[in-house]
Amino acid sequence: MFAYTLKRLAQMIPALLGIIVITFILSRVLPGDPAIMLAGEQAPEETVNKIRQDMGLDKPLYIQFFSYFGQLFQGNIGYAYHTGHSVASDLATRFPATLELTIASILIAILVAVPVGIIAATRKESILDHISRVFSLIGACVPIFWLGLMFIYIFYSILGWAPAPMGRISGDLNPPAHITGLYVLDSLLSGDMMALKSSIVHLVLPAICLSTGTMAIVARMTRSSMLEVVDQDFVRTARAKGLKESAVIYKHALVNALIPTLTVLGLQFGYLMGGAVITETIFSWPGIGGYVTDSILAADYAPIQAFTLVSAILYCGINLAVDLIYGLIDPRIRYE
Amino acid sequence: MKKVKLLSTLTAFSIMLAGCASSANPQTPAATSAAEGTAAPAAAAKPFLTVAYSEGGTTLDPAEANDLTSDTLVLAAYDQLVTYGIKADNGANIANTEDIKPMLAESWETSGDNTVYTFKLKPGVKFQSGNPVDADSVVYSLDRVAKSSSGSFLYGMAAIKTVTAKDDSTVEIALTNANHNFLQILAMYTFSIVDKKSVEAQGADYLKTHAAGSGPFTLEKWDPATEAVFTPNEDYWQGAPKLGKVTMKFTKEASNRVLLLNKGDVDMAIEIPPKDVDSLKSNSNLTVASNASNRILFFAMNNKVKPFDNEKVRQAINYAIPYDELLTGVMYGQAKQMKSSVASNTPGFSDAGYVYEHNLDKAKELLKEAGYEKGFTFDFTLGSGFDDWEDDAVLIQAELAKIGVTMNINKLARAQFLEQQKTKNLTSYISKWTSFVNDPGYHLGFLMYGKGSSNYNNYQNAEVDKLWEQANTETDATKRAELYKQAQEIITTEAPWAYLYEYNRIVGMNNKISGYAFYPDEVIRFYPLSIQE
Repeated sequence: MFAYTLKRLAQMIPALLGIIVITFILSRVLPGDPAIMLAGEQAPEETVNKIRQDMGLDKPLYIQFFSYFGQLFQGNIGYAYHTGHSVASDLATRFPATLELTIASILIAILVAVPVGIIAATRKESILDHISRVFSLIGACVPIFWLGLMFIYIFYSILGWAPAPMGRISGDLNPPAHITGLYVLDSLLSGDMMALKSSIVHLVLPAICLSTGTMAIVARMTRSSMLEVVDQDFVRTARAKGLKESAVIYKHALVNALIPTLTVLGLQFGYLMGGAVITETIFSWPGIGGYVTDSILAADYAPIQAFTLVSAILYCGINLAVDLIYGLIDPRIRYE
Repeated sequence: MKKVKLLSTLTAFSIMLAGCASSANPQTPAATSAAEGTAAPAAAAKPFLTVAYSEGGTTLDPAEANDLTSDTLVLAAYDQLVTYGIKADNGANIANTEDIKPMLAESWETSGDNTVYTFKLKPGVKFQSGNPVDADSVVYSLDRVAKSSSGSFLYGMAAIKTVTAKDDSTVEIALTNANHNFLQILAMYTFSIVDKKSVEAQGADYLKTHAAGSGPFTLEKWDPATEAVFTPNEDYWQGAPKLGKVTMKFTKEASNRVLLLNKGDVDMAIEIPPKDVDSLKSNSNLTVASNASNRILFFAMNNKVKPFDNEKVRQAINYAIPYDELLTGVMYGQAKQMKSSVASNTPGFSDAGYVYEHNLDKAKELLKEAGYEKGFTFDFTLGSGFDDWEDDAVLIQAELAKIGVTMNINKLARAQFLEQQKTKNLTSYISKWTSFVNDPGYHLGFLMYGKGSSNYNNYQNAEVDKLWEQANTETDATKRAELYKQAQEIITTEAPWAYLYEYNRIVGMNNKISGYAFYPDEVIRFYPLSIQE
C-alpha cells in the first residue's frame, strides 16, 4: 500500500504541471485587462500602460509564464492586487475558513443523509421512503442563495437565535490561538470556550445551508446502493444465521453499500470547496470561494492561478484518500 | 456503528463544552466585553462605531488608493495639506469643495501669476509615530504621488512642476501653468502626507498594508475579507476623536447590510439598495441620509457610428427615454433627473438648453426628419455588476420599440466591458461617472473634450473644445463659469448622451450618530462623528 501511495503521488506531478500551464493560459485569455481594473475608470491611457509595465503584462506570454513558473519554484505564488496582500497570506487566512465550512457541511450531510438513506432503503415504498424522497428533491432543487437569505431572515432577523451574519466569530471576541486555522478545532485545542461557542454558533447556519445539496445526493446514493446490497446472498446468509436485523443492516449491508457513497462524498468535498461562493457571500464568511470570484472579476491572475493549483493538489489528495479508504472498508480491494 | 457512536459522542461533547462557556476567551480585552458598536463598556469612556461596507479595499497606500473603501481607510489615518470646508444645505452638512481650508498647512501664499504656492506648515504637528510633520515629508509624499501607478495622473492634473522644501516648515510648489483646480486636487486623499522617516525605515511595500500618517485614527487591523479596525489617535493635533474605536465590517450582500442596520448590529451602513430606503426610514432608531451625489448615469451613443452620427437621431433617443419610470420604478425616488452633462451639484452646472422630456411623438418626428422614419436597429452593450443598469436598459428598450427602434442588448462582464469601452467602438452603452474633483473643467475634460481620455463615444465639437481650453486658463471664476455654461448648452443640444439620472448617496445610520457630512467623493470622514449615549 505504501508503494501504491508513492506511485499515486508521482502520478500527480504531470497532472499538476498540466494544470499550471492550462490555468496560466486560461487566466490570460479571460476577458478583462487587470491594468484597467487596477487603474480605475478615470485613469488615462498612460496610467494604464504604466501599470501594465509594472505588472510585466507588456512582455510576451512565454516570458510571463517562465517568470511565473520560476517564482512558483521559489515558493512565491504572487501578489493579489485586488486585496493588497500577498496571495500566500490571503490563502492562509481564507483557506481554513472554507475548509472548516466544508468539513462541517460534509459532516452534517453524513449524519443526516446516511441514516435517512438507510431508513428509506430498509422501508422501501413506505411513507418514510416517500418523505425522504421529497426532502431529497427539495434539497437538490432549492437555490442556496434563497435558503441562506431565508435562514438569515428567520433565525437572525425575526427569531434572533442566530448571530449576525458577519464572519466566523463574534466581533467582540478574538479568534482562538492560531493552530490549524479551523476555529472550532483551535478553540477546542486551546481550551478557549468562549471562542468555541461563538464559532460553532456562527458555523451552524452556513454549514446547513451549504450541505443541503450534498445531503440530498448522499441520501439518494445510500438508499440505492443499500437496495442493491440488501438483496444479495451474503445478507440473506447473515439473516439465516439468525443475526439481529440491526446487525444485518449495519454490520453487513451498510459497510458494503458505503463504497459508492464514499465516492460521491469525495467528489462532493471538492465540489463544495469551490462551490461555497454563494454561501460565503451571503454569510460574509471570509473563505476562498468569494476570494476567487473576486479575483476573476478583477482579472487578478496570481490568486486565480494559486487557487487552482491548491485545489488541484487537494482534489488529488482527496481522491487518493478515498481510494485508500475503499481498502479499509472492503478487504476485497487490494492495492498493488 | 462504533464510528457513528464515536462521532455523536464527540459532537455532544463539544456542544456541552460550548454550553458551559464559563472560561474566558484569553485574547479578549476586558474593554470589549459589551456588544460591539452599541453600548460603551464601562472600561472605555468613548463609544464604539461599527460601519458596514461592501468591499474590503485594495491598498492603504494613499498614492494608489482609488476605491471607496481604500479611500476611507486613507482618510481616517492621514491628513492632507488642505481640506474642504463644510456648508449647511437643507439641514444637512455637505462639503463645500470651493472653500479650501488649512489642514497640515497653516497658511499659503500665491505668486502673482498663480504658478507658485508657498505653504507654511502648522508648528508642532506630529505623525502617529512621534516624528514631526515637516517639509521633507511633504516633498516625499508628493514625489510618491508623481511616481505612483494610480495617482500620478492627478499629479499631472494638478499641473505640479516641482515641490521643494524651503526650510523645515515651508514648502514651495511650482506649477507648470496657473490651475484653478490645484488646491481642490491637493485636498484629495491621494495627496495625504506620509511619514517619510517611518516609511524609509520599513521598506517600500510597507505602505501597502500599513498606515504612517498624522491622522485622527490609528489602524489596528485590516483584513479585506472581514474587517478593518481603527483606534483613536489620542494625541491628534485637532483633538482626540470622540469615538473609542471604529470597525469597518465588510459585508458584500446588500440585504445583509440592511438587516444588520435594522437590528442595530452596525451603527452605519453604506450602499443601501434604493428599494430598502423606505423600510429603513420606518425604523424609528435610524436616520437615512440620502444626498444628491455627483455620480451621474448616462446613455452614451457613439457619435461616429451610424445612425448616431446624426444629431437628430440622438435627440430622438433623448425624447424617448422614460425618465419618470427610471426615477421611480428603478431608483425608488433615490435619484434625480440629470439635465446637463455636468452633475447639478458641481459649481458651474447649467441646465441651459435642456428641453428633453418623455415625448414619443416628438421622437418620431425627429427620426422622420433624420430619414429614419421606419426606425433602425442598433447594438447596446450592458456592463454587468449594477442592477439598476439592467432595469434601465430594459425600460429604454421597450420605449424605443414604440418608435420603431430595435435595441439589441448584449451583456458583458464588467472587466470585459471596460476593456471594450476603451476601444471607443461600442455603439451605445450605459455608464456612470463621478468626478473626483468637483469642477466642470475636470469633468468635461475627461468626457466631452475632443481629446478627453474617457471620451469613449467620440464626441467632437471644435467650439466646445475651444471653450474648454479658454476656461482652463481663465482665472476669473465668473468668466470661467460663463464659458462652461456655453459649453454645456452646446453639448446638451447636440446630445452625445441621453441623460439618465444622478444617484443619491444613501447612508443609513443610528439616530445617536451626529457629525455626518456628505462629501462629493462619497467618502465618510470618521473624525467628526460622535455617538450620544
